[in-house]
Amino acid sequence: MALASSRPSFYRSLQGTLTGLPHTRGYANSPPGQQSPFKIQNVKNSGTSKNKKAFSRKNRIGAFRSMNPSQLTDPVLQPHSNLSVPSFKPELMTEDRIGQVVAFNQTPHDPIKYFGIPKNMLLEFRLLSQRCSVIRNITVFTAEELKSAASKPSHKTRYVLTGPSGCGKSFLLLQAVQFCLAEEWIVIYIPRAKTTVNSTTTHTYDLRTQTYLQPNFAQQTLRRILEVNSSNLQTLTMREGLNYDRRSFSSGTTLAQLASAGSKDPVISSVVLETLLNELSRQSKIPVLLAVDDFQAIYNQKTLYRDPHFSAIRPYHLAIPRLILEYASGKRSFPKGAILGAITAADPMFPVTTELMDELRLPGTHPRSAYNKRSKILQEYAQGLMNLPVPEEFSPREAASVFENWMRDNALTAPANDEVFLAKYTESAGNPKAFVWQGILGTLEGAAPIVSENTPWPQLREGRM
Amino acid sequence: MVHILGINLPDNQLARFALTSIYGVGPHLSHRLCARFQIHDRCRVKDLTPFQTTALASFLQSPKTALPVPQYPLAPANFVPRPPFKSTQELQAEFNAAKTAQKQNRDEKLLQMAPEKKSRDPLTELRIESELRREIRENIAHQRMIGSYVGRRHAMHLPVRGQRTQTNAKTARKLNSLDRW
Repeated sequence: MALASSRPSFYRSLQGTLTGLPHTRGYANSPPGQQSPFKIQNVKNSGTSKNKKAFSRKNRIGAFRSMNPSQLTDPVLQPHSNLSVPSFKPELMTEDRIGQVVAFNQTPHDPIKYFGIPKNMLLEFRLLSQRCSVIRNITVFTAEELKSAASKPSHKTRYVLTGPSGCGKSFLLLQAVQFCLAEEWIVIYIPRAKTTVNSTTTHTYDLRTQTYLQPNFAQQTLRRILEVNSSNLQTLTMREGLNYDRRSFSSGTTLAQLASAGSKDPVISSVVLETLLNELSRQSKIPVLLAVDDFQAIYNQKTLYRDPHFSAIRPYHLAIPRLILEYASGKRSFPKGAILGAITAADPMFPVTTELMDELRLPGTHPRSAYNKRSKILQEYAQGLMNLPVPEEFSPREAASVFENWMRDNALTAPANDEVFLAKYTESAGNPKAFVWQGILGTLEGAAPIVSENTPWPQLREGRM
Repeated sequence: MVHILGINLPDNQLARFALTSIYGVGPHLSHRLCARFQIHDRCRVKDLTPFQTTALASFLQSPKTALPVPQYPLAPANFVPRPPFKSTQELQAEFNAAKTAQKQNRDEKLLQMAPEKKSRDPLTELRIESELRREIRENIAHQRMIGSYVGRRHAMHLPVRGQRTQTNAKTARKLNSLDRW
């Protein structure tokens, strides 16, 4: 009884101290103006009280909220990189510059900004302070080929960059695009050709061309071509006039004006794109490069599109893939220029097909025989493509440059010495993507623990400061 | 917000998914409907053109009376299209005229041949909403009329397909009846 009477006074005395504490834990509070998500709202409901709005996006707090970048004032979070990489120039494409890292700087007609780049490269460029790539021996070779292609019709220079996953095909294609732009070519770069065949853009049947037009994609492509090549397109004019859908373009209009009109209106964009490419195929003043990544996607027999009778639409019955196929097969050609394609080795939805593997003489994963099904039409569209195998490993010099580049950008947690470099180079077998992503960025090695010599039994004190 | 058959389709949903909210239309039928009206897989409801919306709505109002989709020609490998001087309407009119002329010749030949093959397109026998509910009601009524076990179980509000009743027949007791829909 004595104890029972003393307990309330004990709690009362405790209360005094508890209320004295400041209420510091405010991060679990709901944002102002909204109900607490964890409070039971309707007690009257039978069974569980499901507050459905509690878990809606507005009310959800989560474990943390990411801060505004302008609030990151702590010195630890400030960028400390001392990366000063020389910018990319066509004069650097020589044998003695192999192994040098160059940067793609932001220009007013930046192809990376307007055309876009494949997803893997985008992620890598987000991490680096500057958008860098290394000059390899294959880069120099490609540059030489493109220089000689500047005076030949495009059906004589049709290369497909091949190689295993992560060997640098997309990077090489981007380097080729930047090289040609610097050499004043007209460049048409389609970084993700997969999007033309995977049923993500509008398609409408057209009786005149007897194909399915893709007006929104054509509009986007025209806008991109215009933004990157505006200076070149302004010097070229149309040879024949165009009358379509109550719009008329007389024969002297510049291609820039034509492209700009097409990029604003999806109704005429397909016809304008076709006319633009026809005009580019007739002029022999400026060489044209057509660079396509995900090249194997347009050689797959069935796209993800379905026609009104629910059978799969073939890539050569879709407007944009048909254009690429016609230029890639040499049926249509630019009087000066080249066609470059880069395959994506590891895409299960759009694998490299038998017709392409036959033409490029790739070994493939499974043995092929004369009994494998092949499409005659796709074989026709693959005729004359030349294989440009990208070496599947970095040379030690190239790898060292890449390692130093990331090191200067403070990407390494491990100490930057020869042992780490050689270890990562060996572990990744020189494969560029594995070397960067799993080797440099994915290494678990940290800085070695520093133990002063004066402490007794230093080996026992290792790690404990 | 697009209204089809009185059902409100939210703007930001994928059209292919939104169509499954119609009673009687599941993922496969929805895919077929989208293919018929040239709606690509990632099209949102807000991106549908007014023409597509009206075509969908009028088709779903009465699927049986809808015109069959003609087989449009597809470009062969070395096809060079004509220059874009004629408008789409003129080309369509030419195509229709050519088709009717072809059909007249075929009809004469077909009169002598065997009856038409049943088409494998499920959209031709599409039943949705009230029609489908009526069909289900008629099926249950038919089972009762012939005095079958299935009919009796529906009448007794008990499971029909051989489930246990000693425990756990809650859904059947709640929902099974002769006028279910």
